[in-house]
Formats: sequence, C-alpha cells, structure tokens
Amino acid sequence: MKCAVALLAIVIAVSATVFAQWPKYPEANAPRDAQGRALMDGATPRTDGKPDLTGDWVRADRDPPPAELKGILGGGARGIPVEPPTQPFPPDPKAPPLATFWDLGTNLPGGLPLTSTAAEVKKKRMAADSKDNPDANCMPMGITQFHMQPQPRKIIQTPNLIVITYEANYGLRYIYTDGRRLPPQGEPQPWWYGYSVGRWEGDTLVVETNNLRGAESGPYDGWLDVRGSPYSEQAKFTERFRRPTFGKLEIDVTVEDPKSYTKPFTVRINQRLLADEEPIEFVCNENQQFRSRIKVD
Amino acid sequence: MRTSLAACVAGILLILASVPAIAHHSFAAEFDANKPVKLTGSVTKVEWMNPHTWFYIDVKGEDGKVTNWGLEMGSPNGLMRNGWTRNSMKVGDVVTVEASRAKDGSNNANARTVMLASTGQRLFAASSQNEAR
Repeated sequence: MKCAVALLAIVIAVSATVFAQWPKYPEANAPRDAQGRALMDGATPRTDGKPDLTGDWVRADRDPPPAELKGILGGGARGIPVEPPTQPFPPDPKAPPLATFWDLGTNLPGGLPLTSTAAEVKKKRMAADSKDNPDANCMPMGITQFHMQPQPRKIIQTPNLIVITYEANYGLRYIYTDGRRLPPQGEPQPWWYGYSVGRWEGDTLVVETNNLRGAESGPYDGWLDVRGSPYSEQAKFTERFRRPTFGKLEIDVTVEDPKSYTKPFTVRINQRLLADEEPIEFVCNENQQFRSRIKVD
Repeated sequence: MRTSLAACVAGILLILASVPAIAHHSFAAEFDANKPVKLTGSVTKVEWMNPHTWFYIDVKGEDGKVTNWGLEMGSPNGLMRNGWTRNSMKVGDVVTVEASRAKDGSNNANARTVMLASTGQRLFAASSQNEAR
C-alpha cells in the first residue's frame, strides 16, 4: 500500500512539475475526480453519435534503444525525462503486437516480413547511421514513426474532416470522412502524407491511406521507423482508431506494400490523453545544423 | 516484506526509467557513445532554438589554454517539459557537463548532464540520443 502511494506520488510529482508551457487551462468537459484530475478511465466522449477522438495524445509505450546506443544510456549516464510522462497500459492479449519506435517490427514473430528489396534499403540506411531519417532532417515522417514520435499529436474531429497535427516537424494530415473514396492507386501525384479517407465501423474509425511518396521518391521518404524500415509508393496503410475510455486511444496500423513486405502486417500503437495540456511550438528548421555538422551538406 | 520492498523500488526505478528524453537527431551519425567527456567551463553563448538547444563554454586546459566547446541538448519544447526555461542557464554561469564527443573530433559534444557549479544544481541535459531521431 505504501508502495502504491509512493508510486502515485512520483507520478503526480512528475506530472505536476514538468509541464510549463501554456498555463494550466482545464478542459471544460473532462470527467474529473474530487481533486480535479481528469479521469483517464472516464467515459469516452461522443459527438454526432460517434466517439470523439479530439484531444492531445502521447504514446503510452516505449521500447529500449538499439545496441548502437546502449553505451550512452548505461553506466548512470541515462538521459533525463523530457518526454511527457506516461505509463504503459496493461497488456491486451487480443491486441496485435505492440509497435516499437526504433524498429517497428521488434514484437512481430520473425520481425518485419521484408522483401529482399526492402532489406537492402534498410541495410543501407542503417549503415549510414540513419542520417536521412526524416525526423532528424525536419521532414515529414511515415505514419508509424509520426504516431510513435515522443512529441505529442493533436487530433481535431469535425463531422466531415479529421485533422491530425503532430508537434514533431509540424506534421499535418487531413482525413476526409465525408464519404469520398480513395483515389485509385498510382493516379494522383504521390504526397508525403498520401491521401486519407475515414469511415466509422461501429465505434472504430477506419482510415485508409494510399498514394504516398515512398522510398523510391527520395532519401527522406518511406521511413516506418528510426532504423529505416522502408515503404514504397505502392504502400497502403489502414489505421483503426478506438477510444475505449476518456484517456486511451488505440491505433492498429496495417501496412500492405508488396514491394517492401512479403505479406501485410499489423501493429498496435497505444496513446494516452494529455489532459489539460497543449502542444508546444516546434519550428524544426529554426537552427537546423545536423547535416552541416555531419558534413553531408 | 523484503520482497515487496524490492518490488516497490523496482517499480519506482521502472517509472523513472520509462520516461527517457526526447531527441531529434540520428545520434549515431554525429556523436560517439564511446567517447565520453567531462568538461567544466563558463557559458559563453546559449542557443535556445529548435530543433536542438546548443550552448557553448570556455574550458581552460591544464596548460592554461582556453578552448570553446559546443554542446548539444534536446529541443526547447522537450527541455520545457522537464522544467527548463530559457533562463535556466545564462552566459557567465560555470557549469560541469558530462557529454559524448562528436565523431569528427571537433570540440562539439552531446550533453547528458549539466551541473551548475555555483549551486551544485543539476540541470538536466535531455541529451539528444535517448529517443533519438
């Protein structure tokens, strides 16, 4: 019991002290306990009869960094928390394997089903220490990397359009829920964010995205994760969003890309609501020196 | 009892360990995790800017020669979430820094910890590798 109290105290202390951007401005409609804290287990908010996904969200799960960075994290030299504090949710036995930030398929049995073409691309990217990682170059990331980036994202849901803004690199996605169909694959010009349409299946928002730029488009294109697991212009992403409680968002992402993967695969990304918080401005190119420092440009 | 205490301590460590720092760059492309360096010097400049905060310190060597070092930290938004402000470290402050050196051998490094000499206060560096991009 004392332990539970101590753990709770730490969580509260961390939560209370680390946020210092906008002054606290409590959301009007959040369910709250007697102390005024937002109830993460509260009821899912709804709008137009559907779950309302609107809110600021931060990833709930983290995976350890890869071997090449182990040295720097060991020996008491661990970096310091600046990511919004969150904790994993209890494991869900019915969920697809949890997505992993560094290398997306770590929890997939056998890993990502890379084709030989994709394996070659990934090998080259890793051999170059991921210097073309779009995140490191202030460029838009792939859908999975954006969803798992430590900086939060804001979802804004309106009747015919859902917008996701990512604090990281000012990512911006438009998801049309007005009934339009996906453009035929290969027809419109491929875009960094592709073309996205959404529809509701019960309380699940199903978002399909195609006509993305891919690894063949440029060095920063087609990255699923930090280690450069690629996707191609042929890729189609299907995301299933659910908000089972006030404080939890589940996103199951299915990647279909026959050029890069021998079969489709699905991973789960859990997000936790950042109640009463707002994103912080992040103008990535303000003082970008990375490529000159590593003598690329 | 002993077991539950251990479990509690483990739980606390897990929480503390589960909130690593944010970062922007491909750390391995720029810095060498196996080249740690500890520096003490006076702050000459602070660039509180995206995508990474940099600060510069004058370090006096044993021969009396002064060298200016550049030190990278996390992004301002990440640092703010850890309680930093743009005034946490000022020009003229003497700091002790633990860092990883740049691969190219220049006098640049990625700061892991920053301690204010005047107070012993540990300012957190939020180095750029932990959630490295």
